[in-house]
Amino acid sequence: MHIAEGYLPPVHAAAWGVASAPFIVHGVRALTREVRSNPESTLLLGASGAFTFVLSALKLPSVTGSCSHPTGTGLGAILFRPPIMAVLGTITLLFQALLLAHGGLTTLGANAFSMAIVGPWAGYGTYLLLRRTGAPLMVAVFFGAFVADLSTYCVTSVQLALAFPDPASGVLGALAKFGGIFAVTQLPLAVSEGLLTVLVMRLLTQSSKGDLIRLGVLGGRTAERREGATA
Amino acid sequence: MLPIDAAAHSSRWRRRHPAEKALLGFGLTLCAVSLPPWPGAPLVAATTLAVLLGPAGVPGRALWRAFRIPLGFCVTGAVPLLFEVGGDRGFVALAPEGPTQAVELLLRTSSASLGVLLFAFTTPVSDVLPRLVRAGVPAPVVDVALVMYRIIFLLLDSLSKIRQAQAARLGHTTRAATWRSLAGLGATTFVRAFDRAQRLQSGLAGRGYDGTLRVLVPACALSRRFLAVTGVLLAGLVALTLVLERLLP
Repeated sequence: MHIAEGYLPPVHAAAWGVASAPFIVHGVRALTREVRSNPESTLLLGASGAFTFVLSALKLPSVTGSCSHPTGTGLGAILFRPPIMAVLGTITLLFQALLLAHGGLTTLGANAFSMAIVGPWAGYGTYLLLRRTGAPLMVAVFFGAFVADLSTYCVTSVQLALAFPDPASGVLGALAKFGGIFAVTQLPLAVSEGLLTVLVMRLLTQSSKGDLIRLGVLGGRTAERREGATA
Repeated sequence: MLPIDAAAHSSRWRRRHPAEKALLGFGLTLCAVSLPPWPGAPLVAATTLAVLLGPAGVPGRALWRAFRIPLGFCVTGAVPLLFEVGGDRGFVALAPEGPTQAVELLLRTSSASLGVLLFAFTTPVSDVLPRLVRAGVPAPVVDVALVMYRIIFLLLDSLSKIRQAQAARLGHTTRAATWRSLAGLGATTFVRAFDRAQRLQSGLAGRGYDGTLRVLVPACALSRRFLAVTGVLLAGLVALTLVLERLLP
């Protein structure tokens, strides 16, 4: 859910920009280091960013019967790691604002905080936790994408509640109001995005094993085990 | 190409310096966000529309098609403000100040969106990105953004062709088939993105690629007259809003 241009009061817009800045700066440093030590990774990172942008153009069937699009933050974080996703996600949001009139520039900080920072970190944290406790890859991928999607919407609800507190019950009431509205559509969508991410990852393990090993998603042993199972 | 980008490439203001258009578009957006919504937002919206449809020469239909997207978000976002929860008048009730707040929000978001659209409809992203290095954005980030910008259109084209091919093979007839097709679409896009990056790398390696993407930036000088008119327009809008705020109810 992109917060539209001008939706947030100026102080809130600026505050979310300040909150996002350290994460984006950290991501920019990581990306600059990577590009300086390995110049050809510019092209790979550009392709990864373009993939993240295009993911949002996929129409996802929702359980409620409507259609929406995946945030792609979970898959992006699992494939490219959260610091890189903070930069790629922010560039994607900038392109979406300028090329699709989706989101905005004054709300870029707030949108980046929910979609390029919290979503990827929460999703990747869940994925990593499950992998370290021995969960199968696809289970970890499902919950990683599910949590990334849901946490993005939870943060957006908080941002909206802080900007527009309920006249009777304050920020908590507004949080229940915005959260309640999102929950109807976003819970099924988070499940849908989790399922789609699992299906995409399954196809990728079959068709792009080399890329997944290079990105560190599949270890050498995991890949060999999969090859053995397929044989 | 995406409709806004296509319009920007053929815009009457294409040859103007992006900084001029940024000052005007983002200045108007800033006015819309910071000035009192009444009467500031309608004034900013009317001015922006006049510039968009007049000197900038943006086609009305293309503008409406682009504007209805943020407008839809604005309307959806304004609805929750009409209600209050957990008050004395019931669990959910109409908020007394809700309609005023919702209308103010609609006015503010609509006029702010028009300001950004003014910039987007007159300035191709490819004109902005190479200049960001001079504005202090690290060169590697700009290079990644440039590669993204170039690959996005190729991937969107592939996406549309794969979708057509899947539809022709009855890939969207049942819910299960739709899910399979979607997963195939996502995975194929990933594979094509990486394949495109590898081919681009091979091509650039043959041309002595050293890690920096050098692109030609069309030379265009900053027009002092345009900047001065923009400054006067923005100052006039601020002054008029503050005066009218006292005079109007």
